[in-house]
Amino acid sequence: MNNHIEKVRILEHEKLNSEHYFQSLLEQARRKGLLSDTDIERIQYESIRLLSYKTTRFTSGESSSIQVEKAQSIMASNFFTIGICLKSCISPEDAVAFLQNEPIDDLYRKGRKMIDTMILKAKSVHETIQENLVKTQNVFYRSTIVDGINGFFRSYDADYQAHEIHITADYPIFNPMPRLAGIEFIVSYLDALYFENLFCSFFPAEDIHHLLCGYLADYKEHVINIYEWVLITAAGCSIAGTDIEHLNLTEEGKAYLISLFSEMKPEDVNKKINEVSDELSQYFSCSRKLALYIKNSMVLIAGKINFAVKENMLRRIFLTPSFPERNPKIIFSHGDKMENEQYRKVLEQIEQCENIGDKIDVMKTSVHSFADLEDILADAMLKKKEIKDILKALSMTEIAVLIKKYPQETLADITDYREQESILIESLHEYVGYLPKEQQESIISASKRIEG
Amino acid sequence: MGFHLISFSSGLIQKQAVNEVMECNNYTKQFGLTLTESQAKDLVKTRSHALNANGRIEFGGGVIDKIMKVFCDSPYLSMHNYSKTLHELVEIFYYYKNETMDLISDDELIKFMKTSFDGICQGSLDLLSGRELYRMAKNLRMGYDFDYSENDELWEDEDE
Repeated sequence: MNNHIEKVRILEHEKLNSEHYFQSLLEQARRKGLLSDTDIERIQYESIRLLSYKTTRFTSGESSSIQVEKAQSIMASNFFTIGICLKSCISPEDAVAFLQNEPIDDLYRKGRKMIDTMILKAKSVHETIQENLVKTQNVFYRSTIVDGINGFFRSYDADYQAHEIHITADYPIFNPMPRLAGIEFIVSYLDALYFENLFCSFFPAEDIHHLLCGYLADYKEHVINIYEWVLITAAGCSIAGTDIEHLNLTEEGKAYLISLFSEMKPEDVNKKINEVSDELSQYFSCSRKLALYIKNSMVLIAGKINFAVKENMLRRIFLTPSFPERNPKIIFSHGDKMENEQYRKVLEQIEQCENIGDKIDVMKTSVHSFADLEDILADAMLKKKEIKDILKALSMTEIAVLIKKYPQETLADITDYREQESILIESLHEYVGYLPKEQQESIISASKRIEG
Repeated sequence: MGFHLISFSSGLIQKQAVNEVMECNNYTKQFGLTLTESQAKDLVKTRSHALNANGRIEFGGGVIDKIMKVFCDSPYLSMHNYSKTLHELVEIFYYYKNETMDLISDDELIKFMKTSFDGICQGSLDLLSGRELYRMAKNLRMGYDFDYSENDELWEDEDE
């Protein structure tokens, strides 16, 4: 016989607002008749008395009045702190009973102590995270986790703005977080980050780097979640039987995963992903909490895979590493530009020439740097055919430099350019379009590797 | 449930404020200045209006009693203009609490108002509000002392 007597649930727990817990608890408790009008009046009166006390402390007793916005902010801070205390009760019904029997001042004091403990806990987790940061070039990762969170601890005001965070946590967490405020948000954010970092720490930083390069060549400047891609790839490697420890999902492995999942029903995908979640936790001897975090993430990943199957986009889900260092950079010097006066004279000479041969002769004798040639192509009144004739005389590297300056995408925004420059862009892409396919590919590839 | 600060607190606070104003009569009557209960209620109403108009909230009795106690020995106040002047002083006070961005305490602001009212303004509320307090608030916002005057710098330059 089950001796456990479950308490009657009177309140709708799922409808309580995690960000404004105290207010939503009061509202529901009043609606459900758990709090009488007398209770509410007492709570209101004591809340105003607490606000009055906090306001006097805030102004150091030097001002008997404050701006309404400030009072509202202090009130929100007080409610947040009381909410922290009430959340520690076993159930919302217990919280209501607590609210009925304890003065608001006491609830506030208890909540305030809890906030101090939460700050200490958050600082400790933050230190641990900082000791095990993923060595990544992603700017948002470090700027949020180190600079942003340190900024939070510097500016957090638990007495008067306990519900504020004052920073923007740009680096996203993979698992969804409940809507929280103040220190509660930071504790929850750091906890999630701790598990994500812990999982990433199973893999060498350079393998993570190569994996993310496979996602986006310039991933360092994008807001991405690193753990997400590491986890998906690790799961992919596990299913495909490729090298998990180096996140090396080969092209063959990727093809296998695509064919495997394309054939599966959503429920089979969920089952498979759930299995791989256990396999990974076992493989890396994950703690129970980390295993649970991974399991929760896998639910999202299963959803992504199911969506990708439907949209025929599985190639985008499973990444193969990319090694940009294997494509050496091309250092290109544009040379020095001539003086403005001299440049004007050369432009005039070119425009006075009647045929393209003469124009090319002027360029050969007067233009001595690529920087000047680029300007002349964009400034001189040249026709498309004339530009193409000049392009013919250029090396493939020089064409690649022009393609870097005017990539394919510029054609879509052609109206943003001056008339002569737009003629150059069109001529350039037409010229490249007529080149043999291999030559086109090598120009595009070179244009991506040009520096300077 | 939202707590509407002003509407909730006003009933409790106003009653307390009227009592405090009436108690002040005990002190101000030595200068021949007193308010009737009806005048005290009106003054508290003016305070509520001024707080509302300036987007402020006040707990407890507020500053009316302080203003009364500081201004009651002014040579420019008599029973003839006492109540009317208090109304204007209360309005001016809250307006300049905002204008000074709360950089000055209640006591300092009231003291400055009294010194200027009795001194350079010679009992003129227009000069007090439109010139002296305006200049003082501007000084504070610019980061100067509240009694800073550009003339001070001119004198210093001439001394050098």
